[in-house]
Order: sequence, then structure tokens, then C-alpha cells
Amino acid sequence: MNRETEEKLTSVSRREFFKKTASVSAVAATSVLVPSTVFADDENIMHHVKWGTTLGDEVNKNPYGVPSLYEHNVVRRTSPLMSSAGDMHAAISMTPLHEQKGIITPNGLHFTRTHNGVAHVDPNKFRLMIHGLVEKPIVLTLEQLKRYPSESRILVLECPSNSAAEWKGPQFGTLQMVKGMMACAEWTGVRLKTILDELGLKPEAKWMLAEGSDGSEMSRTVPIEKVLDDAMIVWGQNGEALRPEQGYPVRLMLPGWEANLCVKWLKRLEFGDKPWYAKEETSKYTALTASGKAIQHFYANEVNSIITSPCPEVPWTDLEKGDLVEIEGLAWSGHGTIKGVDISFDGGKNWVEANLKGLVLPKAWTRFSYMYKYEGKPLLLQSRSYDDSDNVQPTVNQEKAVVGVEGVYHRNAIITWKVTDMGEVSNVQIRS
Amino acid sequence: MFKLDRKLVTIGMTLALSTTLAVAAASAAAPGVYKSKSGAIDGGVTYPRENGNYTAYKYNTQSTKGVSFGRPATANEIKAWDIDALPDGTGLPEGEGSVELGDELYEAQCAVCHGDFGGGGQGYPQLAGGNQDKDENGIVKTLKNQRLEPGMDAPKRTIGTYWPVATTLFTYIRDSMPYAHPKSLTNDEVYAITAYLLAQNEIEIDGEEMDDEYVLNKEKLVKVVLPNRNGFYPNIDGPNAQEDIRAFFADRAKNIGAGTRCMKDCKDPGMDGKTEAKVMKIGYEMKDVMPPYAYAKDLPPETEGGSISKAEKMYDASCKLCHATDTMGAPAVGDANTWETVMKKGMDTVLVNAIKGMGGMPPKGGNMDLSDDDIKEIVEFMINSSKKH
Ligand code: HEC
Ligand code: HEC
Repeated sequence: MNRETEEKLTSVSRREFFKKTASVSAVAATSVLVPSTVFADDENIMHHVKWGTTLGDEVNKNPYGVPSLYEHNVVRRTSPLMSSAGDMHAAISMTPLHEQKGIITPNGLHFTRTHNGVAHVDPNKFRLMIHGLVEKPIVLTLEQLKRYPSESRILVLECPSNSAAEWKGPQFGTLQMVKGMMACAEWTGVRLKTILDELGLKPEAKWMLAEGSDGSEMSRTVPIEKVLDDAMIVWGQNGEALRPEQGYPVRLMLPGWEANLCVKWLKRLEFGDKPWYAKEETSKYTALTASGKAIQHFYANEVNSIITSPCPEVPWTDLEKGDLVEIEGLAWSGHGTIKGVDISFDGGKNWVEANLKGLVLPKAWTRFSYMYKYEGKPLLLQSRSYDDSDNVQPTVNQEKAVVGVEGVYHRNAIITWKVTDMGEVSNVQIRS
Repeated sequence: MFKLDRKLVTIGMTLALSTTLAVAAASAAAPGVYKSKSGAIDGGVTYPRENGNYTAYKYNTQSTKGVSFGRPATANEIKAWDIDALPDGTGLPEGEGSVELGDELYEAQCAVCHGDFGGGGQGYPQLAGGNQDKDENGIVKTLKNQRLEPGMDAPKRTIGTYWPVATTLFTYIRDSMPYAHPKSLTNDEVYAITAYLLAQNEIEIDGEEMDDEYVLNKEKLVKVVLPNRNGFYPNIDGPNAQEDIRAFFADRAKNIGAGTRCMKDCKDPGMDGKTEAKVMKIGYEMKDVMPPYAYAKDLPPETEGGSISKAEKMYDASCKLCHATDTMGAPAVGDANTWETVMKKGMDTVLVNAIKGMGGMPPKGGNMDLSDDDIKEIVEFMINSSKKH
């Protein structure tokens, strides 16, 4: 962009800015008019607070920092419904999306799915083998792997079971449990192609087996096109080593594809000419449709979105009629980049365009925002996203008409928050 | 299509990016609208890496040719790790095992979780059962079950009704089961348990029923054709597989469902745009979450007695899985009466049983890294936690 257009554009946005500020201050002005005598003086202002009159902690009290103790309720949560017999080794724990700020999930809150518990890999004993239909099969230690040039990508990871409890109707009453099987982080590692360029991939190599070293020996088959496009082996998560729950020391990263394919605690990559039919691509992670047949090799997580404010955990019960409030949410697509998000207040009959805000990156969470004048009226609030791959998020009925209600995986139907006249928010569905 | 304010947001972003990432000004498109190519195998787009730009990211354009680390894998190393098997049997090991032996092994090591005869019922995956009858199109009828109303039958997804190939069963049991100590079975034992589970699913091999004496090996396992072999799409076999997958995901509206970007008076199937939308509320809310829902910004309650003991940690890691409740037939920790009965045998006997295993109790709970002293400490912890108050 040249300087001239830059200036022109900045001046446009500044004009727009002043226009907006003007209307906001008008609202502010009305609240100032309320006589100040109706408010009691606030103790927290009238007296010194405890933390202002005592010595705080020493700088190194927590050499690895911890969140404020006051945030102790901001944690992953799980439900026995998402496990076998309440067994928490093959289970899933969900990100508290109602407390998620921006698009980067802190590592301690990243959702976690394991099939045989969280493995603790000794990085000194870690080995990665790459073999099969390559001229030069190799073994790498962790240090050797990390010698490869790295790239970083902000990517969403989503379990294809996200919202699986909702196929037959709404079941959970919170945003965290309805949509929390996902998180977004900056992942750092090497492009698989960079390694493969030197190994002499044979032309017959059509598939890659990725295998984990944990007790479940998680294994999945990946088509070669993805391997050579944007697949990575990652060892960095938001600026530090991967958390054990995310596959420390390394996991496979297939941007946009279901998180189960992004094999954790990675140990082996084998190239072959046929798919392997692993348990997690046959018995599980296949989507049974109403026809009685199931979709297999269901790779990408589809275009999706969710309103995060308001939500059942963060309702509008404190608002007063006339308050101007932000409706905020997350949109993402494993097929590409979010182009826009629409919002409906009447359960999908009429829609308005929301604004995107912040970074708009492929296969990453994208924030959307809409300023709304709260009127204390009941609403059926929905968001609907669309991407640069010609995908529009379907309604419950549109998705149901094609796949039925027993698919378990890859549910991306529009979520509806019912907002009562009191501002309470609950999970409902618009469906026939 | 952009409204004015949308444009402002994207322009703002370009400005931000131009400072942080130094996007090549002339060529960069508006953020969020990146040059792309449709027709990827998953139905989406791919983005080109061009002149140091990859969507919003920059990359180093210097050549990485010749970058190579690690060392050649030895033939023995490959042999040790490359033990996967394909549906055509490539990679399956030698070995054999009978249905009868499989029955014994299953009873001892699997039934606690997967139920007698693979029938489930313990909350763990059901491995056998379900009606395999097919309709005129060769589709397993019960897989068409759709629970549209409460009380309707679920489709049953067992080895017999749902799994496409039997080699998966062999490799999965060998690599991942039994759950608490995977990779502890010999190839012969895995053939035996595989035989038992196929027999429980009434699978015939070459027209032959699998009775107790039936001995399964590699050659026979490859011949298994599971009832739902053709129950999956798109096609993933043969030279056209990847084009078939591409074609399937290209037609997403037909094959996986898609929305439409209607803005006004929209007609959803089942909604005519005039009458009020049908709103389905939560019937019975699942509130059983861990930790329980809580939103207060307050200080956490003081934890009693501080950090937990070494014995409790070991118990949590290796024993709790089965001993937290009595669902698997293990004496539940906290159940005073049961432990009183157990301890009538005397501490020495109980310790030997815990170390050597008994019934559904694997030796040392399946964790052979624990020393005998560790086991003693844990058992003492279990007893102490199960005393009458
Ligand atoms: C302590 C409980 C437990 C025991 C004992 C156990 N399993 Fe499992 N099994 C599980 C769990 C949990 C899963 C699901 C794992 C997951 O989520 O990936 C499972 C999955 C399976 C599956 C895949 C089921 C499906 O439909 O996808 C098979 C097959 C299986 N087990 C066989 C066995 C065999 C054979 C044994 C005995 C050698 C055994 N299991 C012992 C808990 C157990
Ligand atoms: C895979 C499930 C499982 C695991 C893991 C497990 N147990 Fe057990 N345990 C059992 C079962 C089942 C029994 C009951 C056996 C019976 O009565 O036949 C049992 C019984 C016992 C008994 C009573 C023995 C007796 O003489 O009656 C002790 C003591 C015991 N276990 C200790 C442990 C310890 C210590 C660990 C962990 C290191 C552990 N168990 C792990 C399943 C398990």
C-alpha cells in the first residue's frame, strides 16, 4: 500500500471513528444525567485495598507463572457422558469458551482428548521414524527434528465430536459443554514437505500412516496431497513446548482437519500405496448416515460458528433496556478462511451481517462482532458463517436432511441461544 | 458484498499487518481474502506459497534443498516398529490361536470392561451383538436406525454389524488392549482373542462356522469378510481412491450437508418462513460435569491436608481405574465391608494376589514398574481409605 492511499484510508476511518464516538458519548451522557445521590459510595474506592497496603509476592515466587487464584474456576470440564463408564483415560475435556479471549487458547485450557490417558514421553528417548515408500528411511531424535527450519501457524484444532451430544436435540446447557471440544493456538514446527524433499518419496506413495507412541498407539491414514500441502510436525504451542495433553514432544498437524488425525505423541510415519483401515478410521470417526452407510475419511472440520457472548454462562441479566452491547463470537472453517458471519435474532428467518474483527487467518478462529441495542425482548440468537470455499453453515434441518441424527461426528449445524426477556440464555434448537 | 464498516475493519487489519508482518504492499490482497485454488481433496481450497507470502504469513524463500538431519533407520529398527497390517494381510505376523483359548483370555482380561461374550453392559464398548440382517441393497438394516424420537432403537456399531475389516481387530487388540496394560499379549494370544471375538459375532470364514476348536491364523484372518465391508463411502481403495474422495467432497451440499446464505424471510426445510419456528428445548439437562460448573471470581477453598501422598498418587495412576467402584468386580476403595472380607485372608495373601494377579486383577494392576514395596504401600493406602469411620 502506498503512503497516499494509506493516509486517505486512515482519514476515512478516523472520520468514521468520530462519528461512532459521538453516538456513544450521547449514550454515556444520558447515564451521567442520573443524579449521583442514588449511588452509595463504593467501599473499594473509599478505603485502601489490601493489596495496596501490603508487600506483594517476590518476583520469582512462581518461576513458571500461574493464573490469578481468582480465576480458579476457569478450567477445562468434562462429563462422564463423553467417556466409557466414566473412565477418564479415554475421555475428553472441554475448553471454557465463555472465558476465551481473542483467538489464542492458553495452553492449560486447550481441550484434550485421549484414548489411553495422557502419555508422558521422555524427550531423550523420543524417536521419530519416517519410512516406507521413501528412498531414505530415517530416524530422528528430538534435537535433530528441531534442527529443521520451522514455521508457525495459528490454527484451530477441533474434535470432530464437537457438539456430538446435540444431534438428537439440545442436551448440554452451557457453551463450554456444547462447543468446547476445540481450541486455537500458534503451532510451531517443520513442514513435512521440507523433510520429505530430501528423503526421496516414491511416486507410488499415496498414503501416509501416522502413529502415536501412547498406550492406544493412535494411528490414522492421511492422503499424500495433504502431506505435501500444509502438513506439519509441531513441537511448539503458543511459544513453549507442547503440553503433554497435546502430544509432547511432537504431534502431527494437519491444518483444518479433525484433531484425531493430528496424531499426538508421534512416533512413526510410514508411506504406502494403500490406506491402513485403523480402528479410528473405521469403527470410530466415521459418520453413519440415515442411509445406513457411513462417511469415511471425513477429513476437514466444516464451516462453523458460535456466539460466545451472550451465552448461558455469560447472560444478559445485568443489562438494562437501551444498553448498547456487543454480540461476540467465533467462526472457523477447516476448508479455508472465514469470509463473513451473519446473525439472526428470530431463529433464522432474518439475518444481518456481523463484522469480523482481529486477524482473519485460514483454518483459525476468527472473531465476529455486532453492536446490539438491548431491548429486553425474547430472542432466538444465531450465527451463521461462510468461507472462501463456498461453504455456508447449515441449519439443524439442512444438516439433518442429508446425514440424519446418528452421525456423531462433524456436526456443524447452527447453534441457537434462546434469550428470555430477563436476559437469561439457554441452548435450544430450531428443528422440525 | 462488503459493507463500509467491514471494509474499515479489513483495512485496519492491513495496516496492522503491514507494520507487524511487512506484507508486500502491492501484491497483498485484503486480509481474509487470500489467493486460493479450489478442488482440494477435502473439498476446500489450497493456498499458494508465492514470493515469500502464504496467506497472511511470510516465509523464508531461501532454498531448503540439502537440509537433512537424523540418520538412516536400520533394518532391525524398521522391523521392530513396522508391525502394522493392511486389510490384504500384508504385515500380519505368523502365529495362531483357538477360539477356546481366546475365550479363556477374554474372560480373564477383557470381560471386566467389555462384558461377557463381548456383550457390553459395563459402559465400555460393546464388541459383539447387534442384528446383521441386510436389506435388498446389502445394507445392514439396523444401521439405518435413526433416533428421531425418544425410545427408538439406536444403530448398533459392533465388530459384526459395523467394522469393515478384521485385520484392524488384530492390530488394535495387539497394540492397544488390554486397556490398562496394552502390548502385553503375544501374537498367538491375539489370534486367539480375535478368533473368539469373530466367533462371538457369528462370523464364518470360507463358509465355515468358528466353533471352539477353530484355530485362527494369518491366512484365515485375511479371508474374513465382515458383514459391513461395503458400508462406507467414498471409496478409498484402488488407483482412483483419491479422485473418488475429491469428487465426493466436491459435492458437499449433496453429501455432507450445506447451508444457504438467505438473508430475509428464509425458508428452512421444516420452517415456512411465516409460522413461528419450532423451538426444541433441553429435555433433561446433563449437568453432571467435572469439575462442577462454577463461575465465581473468588479464592479457591483451602485444600485439606495439603498435597496427596506418594501411595495415593501411585494408586491414582495404576489402580483407581478399576478400584474406584465395584463395577468391574474389584473391591471398591471406601467400601469397608468388602475390604474387611478381603483382609480376612491376611495381609500376606492379599499382597501376593495383588502382586501376582487374580481373576480380573492383573499382576501389579498391569504396571510392572511398581516394586513389591510400592504395592504394599498402595494396598495399605487402599485399606486405610476403606476403614469404617
Ligand atoms: C479396563 C477396561 C478395559 C479392558 C480390561 C479392556 N478394554 Fe478394550 N476398550 C476399553 C476402552 C475404554 C475402549 C475405547 C478406547 C478408545 O476410546 O479409543 C476399548 C476399546 C476396545 C475395542 C474397540 C471397540 C470399538 O468398537 O471401537 C476393542 C476391539 C477392544 N477394546 C478389545 C479388548 C480386548 C480384546 C481386551 C482384552 C484383551 C480388552 N479390550 C480389555 C476398555 C477396556
Ligand atoms: C484392570 C482392573 C484392575 C486394576 C488396574 C487393578 N486391579 Fe486390583 N483387582 C481387580 C479385580 C477385578 C479384583 C478382584 C479379583 C477377584 O476377586 O477375583 C482386584 C482385587 C485386588 C485386591 C484384593 C486381592 C484379594 O486377595 O482379594 C487388591 C489388594 C488389589 N486388587 C490391589 C490392586 C492394586 C494395588 C492395584 C494397582 C497397582 C490394582 N489392584 C489395580 C482389578 C484391578
